[in-house]
Amino acid sequence: MNKMILSRLAAGLFAGASLLASTAAFAGEVTVWCWDPNFNVAIMKEAAARYTAKHPDTTFNIVDFAKADVEQKLQTGLSSGTTDALPDIVLIEDYGAQKYLQSFPGAFAELSSKIDFSGFAPYKVQLMTLDGAVYGMPFDSGVTGLYYRKDYLEQAGFKPEDMQDLTWDRFIEIGKAVEAKTGKKMLGLDINDAGFIRILMQSAGGWYFDKDGNLSIADNAALKAALETEQKILQANIHKPAAGWTEWVNTFTSGDVATVTTGVWITGTVKAQADQSGKWGVAPIPKLNVEGAGHASNLGGSSWYVTAGSAEKDEAIDFLNEVYAKDIDFYQKILTERGAVGSLLAARTGAAYSEADAFFGGEKVWQNFSDWLAKVPAVNYGVFTNEVDTAVTAHLPSLGQGANVDEVLKAIDSQAQGQIQ
Amino acid sequence: MNASRILGTALQYAFLGLAAFLSIFPFFWMVISASNTSIDIIGGKTSFGDAFSTNVTNFFTQVDVPLVFWNSTKVAVLATVLTIVVSSLAGYGFEMFKSKARERVYSLVLLTLMIPFGALMIPLFMMMAKTGLINTHIAIMLPTIASAFIIFYFRQSTKAFPTELRDAAKVDGLKEWQIFFYIYMPVMRSTYAAAFVIVFMTNWNNYLWPLIVLQSNETKTITLVVSSLASAYYPDYGVVMIGTILATLPTLFVFFVMQRQFVQGMLGSVK
Repeated sequence: MNKMILSRLAAGLFAGASLLASTAAFAGEVTVWCWDPNFNVAIMKEAAARYTAKHPDTTFNIVDFAKADVEQKLQTGLSSGTTDALPDIVLIEDYGAQKYLQSFPGAFAELSSKIDFSGFAPYKVQLMTLDGAVYGMPFDSGVTGLYYRKDYLEQAGFKPEDMQDLTWDRFIEIGKAVEAKTGKKMLGLDINDAGFIRILMQSAGGWYFDKDGNLSIADNAALKAALETEQKILQANIHKPAAGWTEWVNTFTSGDVATVTTGVWITGTVKAQADQSGKWGVAPIPKLNVEGAGHASNLGGSSWYVTAGSAEKDEAIDFLNEVYAKDIDFYQKILTERGAVGSLLAARTGAAYSEADAFFGGEKVWQNFSDWLAKVPAVNYGVFTNEVDTAVTAHLPSLGQGANVDEVLKAIDSQAQGQIQ
Repeated sequence: MNASRILGTALQYAFLGLAAFLSIFPFFWMVISASNTSIDIIGGKTSFGDAFSTNVTNFFTQVDVPLVFWNSTKVAVLATVLTIVVSSLAGYGFEMFKSKARERVYSLVLLTLMIPFGALMIPLFMMMAKTGLINTHIAIMLPTIASAFIIFYFRQSTKAFPTELRDAAKVDGLKEWQIFFYIYMPVMRSTYAAAFVIVFMTNWNNYLWPLIVLQSNETKTITLVVSSLASAYYPDYGVVMIGTILATLPTLFVFFVMQRQFVQGMLGSVK
């Protein structure tokens, strides 16, 4: 009787254990890790469907994890050296690309011999290049624009022509006029987020690191000009302060501010306010007052990488090449359905890119973004962009209190040095 | 005297009220948010909205809810049962059997409590990869089964177990495992209930290790699914809130069902 109980218990346990055993990995299946079910995942599914239509033997397993989770899993897999636990294709945020490429040499497949990168926005190719070899497939771009409320600006006496070819100083003047006439602030600003600084810095071809990847803070003219500009904005008090991302988004969805300067991926959020249709325009972002400064920049974006140890490596590369490097129609579809702006410059020749957008009063916004995309200065994001970003963020509040920008630069420099070591 | 007593009581209630507010408010906020659209949530709306059924529908279309719940339940229940069986046997053993090495081994077991999981993650991952257990639910459960904390908890509680019962049972001719199953387990049931609540919650909410081990959409647990929904560039917070409510309900349910035993168990009572 007692033996029976034990053997039943054991049988139950074994039955449970065998139920749980299930394995992955089938031949010809390309596994992809990425985040955001409505964006990257959905876009990758569309790409996969296009490829399987022509290559029915290839199947795809697109696995959806949070962004931090993809990074955590990738880091663990690469650190443990167990390549069979890694996917065939993985999405990596552009700011972190060099960290993975340089920390795990040989972990990602070199693609320059198999894919023609000349058709992509140069800055996207540059950020995934190490020692002359290209390791990724450029994906979505965060090319920036100045989104502005035509109605508010008109009330203050400015026409769309007045918003072209601005400098930041002029932008601040306009901001003061807008507030005087309409009572609206010019922009929403989160003092604990360095995104605005990064946009400005890259628009002048600068970054936290020089072309060789060495930390460059103390005598970085672009960064200095960016900090000065943010200080002027804070002191002119033309901004509506926002604490955190959702509050920042709320500054313009609620109609409280007249402009938004950020990456093109915000378009969907702007357009989600149907009652604001026809009231928005998009201009190139204002220019910094330093040498090499322009009207094009970038915020965010990510790209696809093929793991070098993948059993389906060739298949994965062929897939990326066929869809992401050649399929113009694919780029029209992801723009229309997901609001994704890819990095393939030829995509602009398609129908969706040529369309005039009624929400923006009939402007051909996508043609404009495509123009700016080609002009984004290529910079070296280096290994420690996120670490230096933390140091910059820590010192942004002091700008508003009137701190000397050179002193702030020094403080950022010493904190960044400490964090990198 | 009387006035200061009233004041003391008032302060007590004020403090407890504040503590209760702080504990309950996040749940209240979660429920409110679940009934609003993402835009309203971002806008800071604090009243109930009418988007509850839309959010539920969206959640159920975006997520394979039965599969995800089956995965989470399977992992949490099996891991909890195994942990409790193994760790209570260990706790019983440590207390009942005297030997010279006992305290040294016990200290070693307790010492493992001090190793952060981050340090174990990569070696564990390599072990699982070498044995081919990556992307299986067994891999999630194996490292949690011998839980040093639960062993400690059972050993502490076993100190209150009347040894006379064991002696009497021995005189009656019961073997050690019979004593364990027929006498120890029923007597210690509130300890078991408390341990069940603790271990079940830990396993149900387990996040980092399943995240590392699981590689496919089909094996994912509810915590991973909610995390993925929340990390979209534009998360639909209403849908995320439905996910968090559904992820919270089982632990709430287990807690409320076992509340009495849990409190008794934590007080170390033996019936």
